[in-house]
This record gives sequence, structure tokens and C-alpha cells, in this order.
Amino acid sequence: MLQSKSFVKKTKQGRVVKVVREHYLRDDIYCGALSCKVCDTSAARLTSSASTILIVDTNVVLHQIDLLENPAIDDVVVLSVVLEEVRNKNLSVYNRVKALCTNSLRKFFVFSNEHHRDTYVKEMVGESPNDRNDRAIRVAARWYQSHLGGSTQVLLITNDRENKRKAIEEGLSAETVESYVKSLGQPNLLDLVSLPTSEDVGMEEVEDLRPSKRKVIYNEHKPMSEITSGLLRGIYHQGKLRVNRYNPFEAYVGSESIGDEIVIHGRANMNRAFDGDIVAVELLPQDQWHEEKSSIIADDEDDEEEDVHLVPSSADDAPRNTNLVQPAAASTASTSSRPAGRVVGIIKRNWHSYCGSLEPMPMPAGNGGIAHALFVSKDRRFPKIRIQTRQLENLLDKRIVVAVDSWDCLSRYPSGHYVRTIGKIGDRDTESEVLLIENDINSRPFSAQVLACLPHLPWTLSSEVLANPNRQDLRHLRVFSVDPPGCKDIDDALHCTSLPNGNFEVGVHIADVTNFVLPGTPLDEEASQRGTSVYLVERRIDMLPKPLTEDICSLRSDVERLAFSVIWEMTSEAEIISTRYTKSVIKSCAALSYVEAQARMDDSRLMDSLTTDLRNLNSLAKVMRHRRIERGALTLASAEVKFQIDTETHDPLDIGMYQIREANQMIEEFMLAANVSVAEKILKHFPLCSLLRRHPTPTKEMLEPLLRTAAAIGLDLDISSSKALADSLDHAVGDDPYFNKLIRILATRCMTQAVYFCSGDLSPSEYHHYGLAAPLYTHFTSPIRRYADVIVHRLLAAALGIAKLPPIFMDGLQLTSIADNLNYRHRNAQMASRASVELHTLIYFRKRPTDTEARIVKIKSNGFIVFIPKFGIEGPVYLMPRGDKGGDWVVDEVHQKVMRTGTNISYGILQTVRIHMEVVEPQPNRPKLELTLT
Amino acid sequence: MRDLQLSLNQTQRVRLQVALQQLQDLASQAAASSSVTIADTIPVNNEDGILKGHGTSELDGQVVATLCGVVERVNKLVYVRALRARYKPEVGDIIVGRVIEIAFKRWRLEINFSQDAVLMLSSMNLPDGIQRRRTAVDELNMRSIFEENDVICAEVRGFQHDGSLHLQARSQKYGKLERGQLLTVPAYLVKRRKQHFHHLEQYGVDLILGCNGFVWVGEHLKTGEHDMLDDQERRPEISKSNKIDDEEQEWTFTPLEVRHHICRIANAVRLLSALGFILTVEAIIDTTEAGFSSNIEIKDMLGPEFYVQIVEREVQRRISLLRKKG
Amino acid sequence: MEYVNPLTGFRLDGRRPNEMRQIRGEIGVVAKADGSALFEMGNTKVIAAVYGPREVQNKGQQINNRALVRCEYSMANFSTGDRRRRPKGDRRSTEISLVIRQTMEACILTHLLPHSQIDIFVQVLQADGGTRSACINAATLALADAGIPMRDIVTSCSAGYLCSTPLLDLNYIEDSAGGPDVTVGMLAKMDKVTLLQMDAKLPMDIFENVMQLAIEGCKAVAHYIREVLLEHTKQLECHRGA
Repeated sequence: MLQSKSFVKKTKQGRVVKVVREHYLRDDIYCGALSCKVCDTSAARLTSSASTILIVDTNVVLHQIDLLENPAIDDVVVLSVVLEEVRNKNLSVYNRVKALCTNSLRKFFVFSNEHHRDTYVKEMVGESPNDRNDRAIRVAARWYQSHLGGSTQVLLITNDRENKRKAIEEGLSAETVESYVKSLGQPNLLDLVSLPTSEDVGMEEVEDLRPSKRKVIYNEHKPMSEITSGLLRGIYHQGKLRVNRYNPFEAYVGSESIGDEIVIHGRANMNRAFDGDIVAVELLPQDQWHEEKSSIIADDEDDEEEDVHLVPSSADDAPRNTNLVQPAAASTASTSSRPAGRVVGIIKRNWHSYCGSLEPMPMPAGNGGIAHALFVSKDRRFPKIRIQTRQLENLLDKRIVVAVDSWDCLSRYPSGHYVRTIGKIGDRDTESEVLLIENDINSRPFSAQVLACLPHLPWTLSSEVLANPNRQDLRHLRVFSVDPPGCKDIDDALHCTSLPNGNFEVGVHIADVTNFVLPGTPLDEEASQRGTSVYLVERRIDMLPKPLTEDICSLRSDVERLAFSVIWEMTSEAEIISTRYTKSVIKSCAALSYVEAQARMDDSRLMDSLTTDLRNLNSLAKVMRHRRIERGALTLASAEVKFQIDTETHDPLDIGMYQIREANQMIEEFMLAANVSVAEKILKHFPLCSLLRRHPTPTKEMLEPLLRTAAAIGLDLDISSSKALADSLDHAVGDDPYFNKLIRILATRCMTQAVYFCSGDLSPSEYHHYGLAAPLYTHFTSPIRRYADVIVHRLLAAALGIAKLPPIFMDGLQLTSIADNLNYRHRNAQMASRASVELHTLIYFRKRPTDTEARIVKIKSNGFIVFIPKFGIEGPVYLMPRGDKGGDWVVDEVHQKVMRTGTNISYGILQTVRIHMEVVEPQPNRPKLELTLT
Repeated sequence: MRDLQLSLNQTQRVRLQVALQQLQDLASQAAASSSVTIADTIPVNNEDGILKGHGTSELDGQVVATLCGVVERVNKLVYVRALRARYKPEVGDIIVGRVIEIAFKRWRLEINFSQDAVLMLSSMNLPDGIQRRRTAVDELNMRSIFEENDVICAEVRGFQHDGSLHLQARSQKYGKLERGQLLTVPAYLVKRRKQHFHHLEQYGVDLILGCNGFVWVGEHLKTGEHDMLDDQERRPEISKSNKIDDEEQEWTFTPLEVRHHICRIANAVRLLSALGFILTVEAIIDTTEAGFSSNIEIKDMLGPEFYVQIVEREVQRRISLLRKKG
Repeated sequence: MEYVNPLTGFRLDGRRPNEMRQIRGEIGVVAKADGSALFEMGNTKVIAAVYGPREVQNKGQQINNRALVRCEYSMANFSTGDRRRRPKGDRRSTEISLVIRQTMEACILTHLLPHSQIDIFVQVLQADGGTRSACINAATLALADAGIPMRDIVTSCSAGYLCSTPLLDLNYIEDSAGGPDVTVGMLAKMDKVTLLQMDAKLPMDIFENVMQLAIEGCKAVAHYIREVLLEHTKQLECHRGA
């Protein structure tokens, strides 16, 4: 069965070494056609009735993946040589092909031609790898043709002119994608076909779009060989390009070689790189390290403008710390000392599909219904994309998804193709879906395999669960939960009993999700992929299926539920004397809301045992909170808003700040304590594979905007440690009650977010959580909505010897990748929630122009940014019409003021102004919220 | 094969393959030889009450081989005759060995056994042939009898109680071997026979097929001359002082022709052992004769052509042997 | 890195997860040795030579009731892609020498060969993963060739666990992936494991699967080795003639 063939390969690892690898050729690889009489058809995917089998070339997979994903294309053979090439060139396309090939509904078959005895092709002398692969594809196609005989036609689909010619010479039938799709007779499929690049077979009808503009706009990318040698010699720097979310003409490349971020100004310097691309950057001479406003191309079209948006809650969401405040003063020597550069080549593209809409344009006449349109991505980091469509009138008012195909240096915009339509612009459902897609959130219903992992409903406590010696029966305890009103996924509950010696026994009971979500099951896989539940204004996208989140795991009142408990013995001074962890059975006696709990505590007439427990807990929490703040924990503030949603239309009815009560802080305090206790426990047992959460100490540069603002109003902030910062924040009391909170909000947005990490990846000194001033922290208390907590539950169970440690924990790399995914999902979930709030804010103000108070938080050359505490949003207020550059407004850098020359009208930072908010539509279908001074 | 590096040309290779195939066919025709490998079960009739011999052990009530070889059955005894193993001494075996060390009243000899063999001074006939107690002087003069690296012919006397193997050389025919070549071949190629000393008169050569796989090919010495040699050894000063007479001259220099013969026979032995053919005096003579008759140079006896010839010759021999039997 | 293609189920070199590389054994490659063998597992090539049983060289080491077994493992300078001088007696080779010695000692009937010494020399001519196993297999062949009495044939095979799949007989690329690598040596007929090595952590149930796979591999190797030995014995016997 085995035939071996060794081949010699040269690889570069600093020096040239000879690598000899075995390559087995086999005769037990089957063709995958159900009709085949010779082969084993148990794994066959191709239909028996198919008259044509398609074999696709690598470039077809790479560029036409959207077409392949369309169900109209089927009975496709993907050769392993093609898969391999695709994987090397574009991992995301590879993953999509992989999904296609494993999808049981689609008839895609992977044929391992490289290991088949008859289709293996040895590289000939002087043959390039590309030619060899093309030949391998043809050989495989020929094999299929002779193997399947006359009954089935084998069609090679290739856009490579040379490959097609050779295939036809060899007697194979070959076609280009365009001609094949045309022969199918479904015109809308043609929109999915991406335009061929110049080196491929050209379509005659694609003539130059704008002959007059046929000039070189961008510099040619340097050839790969030059880039690699340049990287080696240190002339070029490699890194991932990150476009500023708030200013698409500015990007950063984090370079390891110079240990700093390189700023890239303007599209010309970005040189066709997209956000997320791995690029090679050349540093500009130092005298050009300032912002080159004037050189921004296309700034006549895409004016740099600030939208009204939600207040950022951390530095990750906020606009980057650039010199936005001082563009007028750009000529001064105060320009940043950060190196600036320009992109000379793109090492790896990060193209995927983008959500957005078409730029409004008139219907073109004639031209066979084919129109060229410009697509504007919703995410402003991406440039406009040129597409070709035959259904322009349908698409103009729609949100669509578009994929990029190419961007040559002659065209200003990249060209792409239409993928699919989401819905009408402005429609709430459409926009919600857009924000889900943009944030890569899977909102599809759970698959049947996942649902099959659920226990049978109605779930009841079985006797064998109780008989488990590892599970303690705590049903006799007076356990209760406190959550936001209407909360259905209750994952934490508490109890507090006074002990005879005057101490308290305090227990935190967390829903025992891992009892139902077993490692390695499809349910677990799905949850680990989703990472977290996503809370939008009008709906929730669950990490786990509903029966689990709202019933089986939810610690509702008066039902017996499984829990994972952390139980402390505490003195009345909240000193922890002992801690124990156990799986348990509890029966909650009350599911309170924060309001209810607060009301009970405040009502001095109530003296029942539950209220006493609440009060005891509250007094303990206050001590703990005080101690934590003493230690230097920051009390940060964010402007969270709450919508009242119409139950029928789901339109927002009212909007307001979220109120934080003592009861919230009480619950928070015990959750923090539980998390810290668990973090200590798991780290002790698994020093190398624990999942922890850390919050890096902010650097001075990150806190700079805060310091500048503080300095402008004469406030002195000490940022030497979190303790010092916390103290000076406490002392920052202004003349009005909101001042302190405003400062805290400004401080919060300077910090980065806390992140999950695997304890083996960092040294213990880096485990520190800055915000909480805790040396160790993790997430344990919300396993229903966060996957990190599920992992921590498993770790804790293993640490207690109750359960075995699942195998993934053995694999450091895998754990790291899980932590990365969790961070990514967590961040995306937050972005999506924020976007959802923004969307609803827009919908809310659409019908209600409002006048309100706002605070100035940032001074700009032509206006300022205001923050509206009531609605938690911030946006620009322009003092002069746009484009009017000169103006008679002058910015005072030191005092952070903008003044009108000749008058004494001035606006300073943190000043209160009254503004008018109204939704305007400068362009059809593009509503936006505009703020003006009243 | 194991000992020879041959570069066969195409036709030679084909001939060799054919011949080897024939050999295999013949062997399977002759007798269903019961080859076993390690851990193979040896089928036995347990009711007969068998005796397990060398190369067998018992596992789960079955007789299992512990060696690769051929199963031999002698009455109730079942044993595995190992091919390709070190020599296993039996009392009375005639062996050729090489002196490694001279120790207290004994010589140690390398004889291709798992230990060195011991030849006691007392197991030696003294050169003067007188039966007497060995004196201290004799012990001091041991090196004048056998020195290190001398090749000696002796007989296995038996194992002592401490497990060491003792030899004896109480005969005129045993003793030091000189003026010849020592060849080492796998021990299983030498069959135990009545006669291990051969005087090949037509060549004037002595051939000793030691049971331990050491083969001596040397100039023929008359037993009388042995004594003279011993005399000389005993009185070196005399032979030095006396003028070398004619007889001694003749003896000291082995004639060229004899030396040629020695080499031819040695090469025949080498060839046969490389081929894995059994070493009998007939086979050796036959091979040597074949060399003469086809006018092969001595060095070419180890060349590919002669190699193939000998295989073919062996095939013919076995075929005729089979016919005779049939 | 996908060591097992999720779509086709093949490994990088075209094997399925439960397939071994091609193995080849040759007996009698060193003329001077009492027994010798060459063993190949794919591109891994190992030569073994056995000397003895012979007189114990260092009298102090002599054991009165059984044979002394010694083993020396080395890697040829040219055995890997980059030519490197390999100092003798480094940590790794000392360890492998010990492992081979212990494994072989378990199967040699040393009590039949008192006062003697058996030397096993193994050298890796070409390394492509699984050298340990190949060395043990080569040593077994060489010992059998030397006619040393053995309890049973010891064979060895490794198995690993990558991409959540147990893989038989890892080659160099798979070996250097950093996953667990279980080397099993066993007495094929007696069904006894004499060597079990793993330098990683693996949950018990998975480990058992991986080990079972390695055991299957050992059995396959044993089957092949017996064939080689029988073939060789028959050939010797037929050449020798009556």
C-alpha cells in the first residue's frame, strides 16, 4: 500500500541545510464520486448524477471564494495542492474553503493528488514551483477524466491563461470563471465574480474605467526579495498596520525592530495597505516626522470628520493619543518625536469582506446594466472600494457586504466585488446585523449537535448528583441573589450566616456550568468560540443555549440548583480567616433586584433574617471596599447609559444614565473577593496553565491627555502609582458635583483594558491587576456568560481533585490561543454593545431634537469635542463651517482654550455649554447626529 | 555476503541469483528443515516426555526457541542448533587458538568462546617429553614455549568447577603453529569429525580445521621435525652458535610454491566461509582444484567471477549428491 | 500547524495517523562483529553491531552468574541535515545508551552466559525521528544474529499525540512539534512492555490510546523482524548444506 519517494528540499534557516523528507504515494485515495465503481464511495461527496465535475485552480479559490460559497456552485474537486497553496497565501480563504469542504450540504471533495500514486508530479529541472503546481492540477484533472470515463465531464476552471492553454492542448476541457458562470445563466452570480487582475485572463469588456486618471497614484510595492533583504539589513521594518479608528489617514505599525510604533500619515504613505496587513515600512527622514496634513490625498472627498459617538470606556476604544489638538500648531517644533514612515511593501494581506453601503450615484444609462459603483465601508478604517454590479438600483439603499480583490498602483481605490445584501440602510435589524458582522460576532442559532449536548428538560436534581461525595448539600442555607431587574441568567448568589464566635460565614455561589458543559463536546467548542455573551440594547446573544442560561444554570429562587461555592469565614472586620471551595447544591430563597435589595437595607422597619443578612454583607463589603481603595484600587467611572425600550417596536423610548447603588457595590465586592480567592487557588496548583486576568499599568504617554487636561484647569495629578492616582483623583473636587466623575471618566479612557492571559506566558510580576490593585485576579463568577469563567471553573475543580484537568491545559500554546480569542471576543462584544447603543441613540434622537448641557472634553482647531453626561455620548461641535481653515479662532495650547480673536468669547476645557442635538441627513440614507451650540 | 565486497557485473549477478535460487530449491527438496527464530514455538509431543536442550525454554507450557537456528531432535532431546553463534566447546574438540596472556602456571587463549580458555602448564607435554613435576624454572621459561600472540592447537579438556574452560596439549600433534595463516570462520561451518588434522600431500600443506572456527593453513611439518623445532626452541643458543646447515636452510625458508599453495587454500577457505558453505576438507580441496583448473590467479579467487563459479559448482555437487541418494 | 490534514486525514508525508513508515531490516552488515544489523524506519537509518559474549575486558565488572551487557549509542556527524561534531558521551546519548541497554538486558538470557560480556554498539546513520525505536529494533536483530539466547524479540515503536490525534511512528517534523512522544518497547510474544518513555504530560485516557497505538506498532515491527530473521536463518542453513 505504501510507496515511498524521498525528495530533497532546500530551506533557509540562516544557512542552507538539506532537508530530506519522505513522501508516501498511495493507491487507496478515492475519487469521491458516488457513481464511481472502482473506488470506495463511503466518503464520497460528489453526486452521482453530476454531469460535470469542476476542478478549480488555486487562483480561482483565492479570488473567487465568494462565488464558490454560493450554493449554485457544486460538485467541486479541491486538490490538495490547491489547498496547500491557498493556505500559504491566505489563511482566511483557506479556512473558508475548509468550511466548505466539511459542510455536509455542499458537494466539495478534497482529493489528495499529492499523495496519489498516479497524480503525483515530480518537479522538473528548471520548472518553477508555480508551473509544477499547475501541471499537477492538470495531471489530476486528466486522471479524473480517464478515471470517471465518458459519463462525467471534468471541467478545469482556471483564470490563468497559460494553464488554460496548456490544459486545452492536453485535451482537457478548461474554462475561465467568467465564461463558466455565464454558461450557468444566472446573471446575479456574475456580481460575485471578482475582476481578474492584469496577469490573468482579461475580460475584453472591462476597459479602463477612467482613462483620464490612468496615472500612477501610489508607489510600486517593492519586490519581495528586496523587502526581505531590506528587513535583514534593518532599512525596512515589519509589522502589522493598524489604522486609526477615528482618523483613517493615520496608521500605526508596531515594529519590534525599533521597539516603537511607526506612524504612517496619509493614504499615499500607507500605499494601499489595509488595516491588519503585515507590511514593510521605511522610516522617513526625521524632519518629516510631523503630520503631513497637506499631503493627504483624497482629503477633498473624505474629509476627516468626527462622528458623534459613545464615550469611550478605555484607551482601547478612544481615539489614539495623537496631536489632534494641535494641528494648527503643527509647524511648531512640538511635533511628535514618534518616527514616521511609509509602506514600501505588503508582506501579508488581511483582506476580508466589509460591511457598508454604496456611495449614492445616479443610475448609469445603458452599459448592459453593468454599473461601477463606489462602496463605503461602515468601518471608517477602510477606504472606499470600487465594485461592479448589475443590480445597482437594488443596492443603493442597502447595506451590503463586499470583498476586496485587488488594488493596483494606478487606481485610487481598491476594486472588489459584491458578496451579499444585508438589508435596508437605517433599518434597525439591518444595522444591528451590520454591527454584529463588523465585530465578528456569531449570532446564528445553536446547531443541532450543540443542542444535543443539553440535558433533558425539565431538569431536576437527581439522587446520584446528591450522592456525589464531592458535592456538598447547602440547601439548608439562606442563599439569595441580587441582580439587575429582569435578569434571567443569574450566575451568582450569596449567603451570610453569623457564627457563634462572632465571625461570619460568607458564601459566594456560582452556577455550576461546567457540570453541564463538558470539555470536548460540541457545546464546549461553540462556547469557547463565542467566548462571551453579547449584550445589545434590544437583545442578548448568548454564549450558551437558552435552556442552560435561563433555566438549568440560572440560580433562580426556590429551585434546587448546582453551584460552585467559595465559602469564607470572616471576622466582622472582613478579615478572611479561612477559605474553602466546594461544588454544592443550593436552593435560593430570593432573587432580588438591586433596587429591591437597596430598599430592604434602607428600610429600617424590616428586621427579617434576609434583610439582616443583606445588612451584614453590606457592612462587610464596605470594609472590604475601603481596604481595597486603601491599597490603591482605582474607582473608575464610565458613563453607562440605559435605554427604555418599547416592548413592541423595540424602539428606544427613553435614555438615561445607569445608576449605581450601594447594593451593586456590595455584590461587586464579593465577586471580586471570590475571583481573587480562586485566582490564588488555581495558580498555586497550576502555576503554568492557569487562566488569569491582568491589567497592565498605564504608561506615562497613555496618561498624558489626562495630565494635559488636568494641568489646564490647574489640577495636579500624581500618577506615580495607582494608589497615588487614586488619591489625587479623590482630591480632585471641582466646583460642581459632576466634576469629579468627569475627571474619572477622562482617567478611565486613558487606561487599556484588562486582558486574559495564560500564567505560563508571563512572569509573576506581570500578573498584576492595576485597576483593582490586586496581585492576582481572574474571572470566576459569571460562567453563564463568559467562557473564561468556564475555564477557571475547570481549573478550580481540578485543583480540588474533583475533576480531571482537560487535555487542552497541557498545551500551553492552545491555552494562549484560547486566552487571545477570549480577549478578542470580549473586546468585540464590548464594541458591539457600544455600537448598538450608538445606533439606538441615533434612532432615539431621530424623532426628538433635544437641547441639553454638555461638557467640553477636548479642544480642536475648529471647535471642540463635547461630552453629554445625560446620554453618555460625545461628539464634535464646530465653531466654523467646515473647510474654512483660517478662521478667527485661536487655540491656546497651554490652557486648553479656544478663543475668538478680538472678542472675549472663549471656550475652555471642562467648561459647561448648552448644545442642540438633532439628526440630520446630509446625504440620503446617511443619517447622523449633529451637535450645535445653542 | 558478509565478508566479501564484490562488484558483480550484470551477467554475473543473474548467474548468482539463479544459482542461489537453485540452492534454496535443493535445500527445500532435501529436507523440510525446521528453522526457527527467537520466540517461535517448537511443536513437541508432550506425552512422550521430552527433554529441553540448548536454545529452548518453556513459556506457558510450550517449548519456545531462544535462538535462531534449526530444531534438532535426538530421541527425547529437543534443542535448537544455533547458526552464527560463538563456539560452544565440547570435551575432546580440537581447537586452534591464540595466546593472549601468560599468567600464573597457565596461558590464556582466545578461542572464539564467551570466555578465554586456559591452558595449564601442567596440561602441556614438556618439550623434552619427560613426565615430571613442573618446577619453578619451568614456570619462568613458559614464554620460551608459547609467547603472546602465538597460535596454538589444543584439545578441550573440560570445564573446571569455577566455570572456566581448560585445554590440554598432551600430544605431539598439538602445540605451536608456525609458517602459515590463521583464518577465522563462523564456528558452525566446521563440523565435528574424526579427523581435523589434514595433510594435503599434493600441496605440502597442513590444514587444521579447529572446531571453534579457527582454521590453520600452514606448511607441512613432519612430526620428527616438530621435535627438532622443539630442540631448537629449547636451545636457542646452540642454533645460534652453530652454522646454519643445509637442512636448516631448507626448513627456515618455506618454498615459494608452498607459500602459493597456502594462499590458495586460505583463499578457498575464505571464499567458502563467505558463501556460508560448510567447510570440509573435500570442499576446500575441490575449490582449490577448481582454482587451478580454471587458471585463476590467487588474488582473483576472491573476485566475482570465481565466486559465482564456486556457487554454481556447489549447486552441481549437491544435485549429483541428491541423484546418488535418489 | 496542521500535522494531520483535517480534510483528507493524511499526515504531512502522506501517511494515515495509524500507519508506520516503511521499515527495512538487514542482517550481517559488519563483518568483524559477531552479529550486526541495519534497521530503517523511513529515513531513520541505524546500524547496530554486537560483540560477544566474550571475555570481560575489565575484570572488576565481571558478574559471576550472568553476562555483563554494555551499550554505546552514538550519532554520526552526518546523520542530520547540518553536519555537526557530536561529542561522545553527552547527556542525550548516555541516556539513550542506558535505555537501550536496559531494554536489551531484559530480554537476553544473561544467566546462560556467566563470566562474559556482550557489547552492543548502535550508531545513527541518518536521523529522522524515532531513532530510539530504530536503535532498539536494530539491536534486537544484531543480537539475534550473534546467536545470543533471548527470551523474546524486543521491538520498539513510538507514537505521539498531535492535532488531537494519536499518531504512530513520528518523523522528525512531527517529533519536533513539541507534542508528547511515547516510546514503547515490548516483548512481542510475551506481550510485556519493557520500555515506556514519555517526556510530556498527557491525560491518562489519551495516554492509554497513544500507548496502545505504539504497542500495535511494536507488534507490526516484531512481525517484520521475525520474517527477516527466519529468512536469514533459512538462507544460512541452506547455504551450509548437509
